[in-house]
Amino acid sequence: MIFNYVYSIVSAFVFSPLSYIVTFIIIAILAVIVTALIPVFIGWVDRKYAARIESRYGPVYVGPFGLLQNFADLTKMLGKRFISTNIDWLSFNFTPIALATASFAMLLIIPLGGPGLEFISIPYSLLFIYTLLAISPLLLLVAGWGENNKYALIGGFRGAAQIISYELALIVVLSSVALLSGSYSITSIVSGQSSIWYAAYLPVTMVVFIIAGLAIIEREPFDVPEASQELQAGWKVEYSGIRYGFFLIGDYVRVTVIAMLVTYLFLGGWNGPFISGIIWFIIKTAIVLMIILTPRWVFGRPRIDQLIKFGWNWLLPLAVLNLILVELLVVL
Amino acid sequence: MEKENSIRLNIGPVHPAMHGVLKLILDVKGDTIIKAQTEIGFLHRASEKIAETRYFANYYPIMDKLDYVSALNMEILYASAVEKAANIEIPARAVYIRTIMAEIQRIMSHLVFIGSFGEDIGNMTGFIWALRERELLMNVVEKISGGRLAPMYICNGGMFYDFPQGIEDDILKALSTIENKVNHEYNAMFTKNQIFLSRTKGVGVLTKDMVKKYGITGPIARASGINRDLRKVSPYLAYDKIDFDIPIENDGDTYSRFVVRTREILESIKIIRQCIKDLPPGPYKAAVPWIIRIPKKDTLVKQESPRGEMGVFLVTDGGDKPYRLKLRSPTFFAIHALEELLVNIRVADAFVIVASIDPVMGEVDR
Repeated sequence: MIFNYVYSIVSAFVFSPLSYIVTFIIIAILAVIVTALIPVFIGWVDRKYAARIESRYGPVYVGPFGLLQNFADLTKMLGKRFISTNIDWLSFNFTPIALATASFAMLLIIPLGGPGLEFISIPYSLLFIYTLLAISPLLLLVAGWGENNKYALIGGFRGAAQIISYELALIVVLSSVALLSGSYSITSIVSGQSSIWYAAYLPVTMVVFIIAGLAIIEREPFDVPEASQELQAGWKVEYSGIRYGFFLIGDYVRVTVIAMLVTYLFLGGWNGPFISGIIWFIIKTAIVLMIILTPRWVFGRPRIDQLIKFGWNWLLPLAVLNLILVELLVVL
Repeated sequence: MEKENSIRLNIGPVHPAMHGVLKLILDVKGDTIIKAQTEIGFLHRASEKIAETRYFANYYPIMDKLDYVSALNMEILYASAVEKAANIEIPARAVYIRTIMAEIQRIMSHLVFIGSFGEDIGNMTGFIWALRERELLMNVVEKISGGRLAPMYICNGGMFYDFPQGIEDDILKALSTIENKVNHEYNAMFTKNQIFLSRTKGVGVLTKDMVKKYGITGPIARASGINRDLRKVSPYLAYDKIDFDIPIENDGDTYSRFVVRTREILESIKIIRQCIKDLPPGPYKAAVPWIIRIPKKDTLVKQESPRGEMGVFLVTDGGDKPYRLKLRSPTFFAIHALEELLVNIRVADAFVIVASIDPVMGEVDR
């Protein structure tokens, strides 16, 4: 537990009632720094990786290897003027904040590479992360409606339709993992894989999870709601400045969370021989992240009806079939 | 008038996925288009009228900016028209150089098509890859003519400069790279990519009758099974001495339009290789004065541009400027088929179909 660790250090210097408050403040600052650094770094990885695929350089100038480019971009976004006409003020401004908050909250709950390395530990962390992921269709609809723009409205409806059709598959997958391990807590799911990874039991489920996860976070090839070609930017079209920056950084957080979840649920998390757990975790997550980042630059974008058909006709039946298999496995 | 339960989408003239300044007015019901209208003319620059105020030799820069993706083809076309009207015989070397330049420009144009088509499907990498290969040929054109997009290379009676020393090796090197990429990387990225296939196969089918009704020519017509290419039908330049095939597809959908253009790149590479092998020595230019007077006559020249049959109708009255110049641009006809093609399809498909037409608005609006 991070909290206990920090508290034990703080209480050596500060006397009892005050030390709690000091610990809370330190934890809050730490959480902000860590949760802000992770998506910015992942954003840099994405940009560099994409640049390598497309045979160009990517960010180079800001910081070593362009590492600070995303900070520069976000700082620039802070200085942008707020442009909008005839918007619904509340829903327009509420959506980016809610979406970013939901994304960052996931990073607080998920363990960051070791047992107890999470800022808030709750026994139902997997379920809670799913809930935070599942907020987005509602927010998409609200944003699409509030922007008072045809493209945004179509994008919002597309996004809601897409995410709802993939959410079911995702929750079924999560349930089958939870059934296998007997818990909704990520820490105990990982400790259940100390001898054999769940990927060995559930290879198909892992694939289903990656695909459904990509669809939930609207990563290409599932970025139909924000299709930059036909809908310009879909439900994001009217957003600019730091409001857009919130969406951008939230996207990277969710990509990271999906990669981490794949590692925790199927690839044994921090379990591994010889070297320490956190290094195993970083290696596994990096590989999964690369696999998740690749389709965006290799595939095109399917049509919305093809996408929804794929979700209902293939992913959901596969996920349910696997759930039944797992149930048999557990019962026998 | 907006109909009940439908949204009117005004797409363009400024839209990230639009090619140039084409405007589409789509009536959308749900996600299905029920009525489509096209609006053109945003890039009208009175090119035909400008011709009447310029000497024959001074009109080439305007030709460059007609179809700015295949500028050299436009220049060669106009040069052929003027030379036919004025009975100028150009040397054999000039004929071959023009053939090489026309085919280089055709490859470049088709690469732009591949890139923008991939981009409209949502594949940004394809776009950048295609432009990367185009850059190789761009450099070659730059070495030859000094210009890149609008080279201003052709003039009455030949071209301004001869090939620089050793340019043949540069061309052949660029061609072998492009051939390799088209055969392998583009296959992996496009024609073997399941998402690409599902987006393009059976979408926007243009039947033979529609092609004839709208007067569509070029790769779009050949994708619908019409075997007509002016390079074979009425050979000009050096095409009658060269062995090449005309790629034909029979489905008429966006996929076949893509495949026809991809295969045309390979055929163009074949043509250039033969031309470089047979490239005769000698003068590259006939001695033609800058200001020429052409007697009263009508001249029609049609050539196969990367987008179809581009024609010039030149009316002269004995003066040093054209009396009237009429341009026949291929995409102008294809654009009008969109009103029929875009009905009863999804909004997302509309952009794939527009991209498969490969319009260049400079040429449509003239």
